[in-house]
Amino acid sequence: MLEVLEAGVLTSIEDAGRPVWTHLGVPVGGACDPWSLAVANLLVGNDPGAAAIEMTLVGPTLAFREPMTVGLAGADLGGIVRESGRRLVPGRSHRLEAGTTIAFPGDAGARSGARAYLAVPGGIDVPLVLGSASTALGAGFGGLDGRLLRPGDVLRAAEERDEPGADAVWPALADDPLAAAGSAIRLLAGPADRLEALVAAEWKVGSGSDRVGLRLEGPALEAPASGELLSHGVVTGAVQLPPDGTPIVLLADHQTTGGYPIAAVVITADHPRLGQLRPGASVRFVATTIDEARLALSRQREALARGAAAVRTGSAWDELWQSAGG
Amino acid sequence: MTAKTASIAPLGDGALLVTFGDRIDPGLNERAHGLAAAVERLRTTDPRLGRAVPAYASVLIPFDPVAVDPDEARRLVAALLSESSGQPPPTVEAERAGALVEIPVRYGGDDGPDLADVAALNGLRQSDVVELHAGTEYRAFFLGFAPGFAYLGPVSTQIATPRLAAPRERIPAGSVGIAGQGTAVYPFDLPGGWRIIGRTDVAMWDLRRDSPALLRPGDRVRFVPQS
Repeated sequence: MLEVLEAGVLTSIEDAGRPVWTHLGVPVGGACDPWSLAVANLLVGNDPGAAAIEMTLVGPTLAFREPMTVGLAGADLGGIVRESGRRLVPGRSHRLEAGTTIAFPGDAGARSGARAYLAVPGGIDVPLVLGSASTALGAGFGGLDGRLLRPGDVLRAAEERDEPGADAVWPALADDPLAAAGSAIRLLAGPADRLEALVAAEWKVGSGSDRVGLRLEGPALEAPASGELLSHGVVTGAVQLPPDGTPIVLLADHQTTGGYPIAAVVITADHPRLGQLRPGASVRFVATTIDEARLALSRQREALARGAAAVRTGSAWDELWQSAGG
Repeated sequence: MTAKTASIAPLGDGALLVTFGDRIDPGLNERAHGLAAAVERLRTTDPRLGRAVPAYASVLIPFDPVAVDPDEARRLVAALLSESSGQPPPTVEAERAGALVEIPVRYGGDDGPDLADVAALNGLRQSDVVELHAGTEYRAFFLGFAPGFAYLGPVSTQIATPRLAAPRERIPAGSVGIAGQGTAVYPFDLPGGWRIIGRTDVAMWDLRRDSPALLRPGDRVRFVPQS
């Protein structure tokens, strides 16, 4: 078990989300960066969608009451073992002895991402609500009592697996979405087609961004003068145009329906990178096609499968070697 | 757009949005629920499709972008449209579709801080607003905004009132609001801009129930004034 000593900025239990209750108004939720959730889990032999700790900008301080091997992926939030000073870099599993304390003080580096994922053997042991361990913050269910983690919380791994020496490394892979951090986010036209205006400008992620959406600061984008739209179902990655002209890119906790015009939609393969944009980061968009979008997602899934296989067989270093050479 | 046509448009690489019209109309809403039900039936044998999300006059149909190409998605939806239009009045869940749900409400006072404004803005007495709001049977068009939040309507044009200019940071669970010709009950403490005219103690969302949402799309709803 592990105890939360400090909570961090926004730390919650997330898994792959609850996609089949949207007709009742339940947000899909789940990890904002599903790729890194999967990597963290695969590093400790879990299903890619198992429940893990999602931390944002500044992570929690956690005390381990028993030895445990954890998987860490996503942004480098300066993870460190307090007692030894050992750095906890993402993309690896880390063996932690009983009595150690780890902290994620954050990394002000502009190139760093926003979110990291910490996975434990079998996933974090919390009850499933509507089939998921994800935290529905607005409605207050799922995760740990439907809320963010706070000091004093005690978390348990679902499985007691103690595998000292099992040092897993995530390989460097072509099509790793986080390796493309900094390059333009790919868009498809939305019903209210303002794709050109989005592509033409440079945007900054606004400070009002959260798990619901990213606010984009830049030139105000006028919504088309089609008047009030009837609310309809919306998707993660949709770029909404509210009346104030500040586009909002919907993230995992977005409402199931919305009435704002949709200027464009970010392709599914770029969702992980959306989840890694921190306030203040600059963002550029580029137009793509449905065929390229499908190809990118298909390659990303293949990359995840290759990474999973490399971790399982312990051949990550070989893979790394090959990809470095090839 | 004529009554029988529907537009099918992509919303990103993994969803289609089928739109039946651009107004709040029970007939269009029935068509949306009919298509959503047809998607649910197909989904039992085709896991490439996601949960359909019906709204006033549209259905969002998610699918796996790798497993389904856009042309096939369109063909699937077109087939469902012709199938669902040929069926008797479509039902979301046949055994309780169109159920009448009565919701007791304490109008005005601390429970309904905007009742006086809604009356004044419409040139009515507060008791008139209550009578008109409780005197109409509403349709649950769809659920959205938050778990269990059902968009009900239409309310009488005599009491239709625009949203607050500045939304409140916290509206208590059970609050009954009006926005335009819509009315709804807040299932949780939430921020919001609807005009709050009353409050109910009935749980709109309860995870101990088989279906946690009290109201389901297509249900009929009547508010009953409590003294």
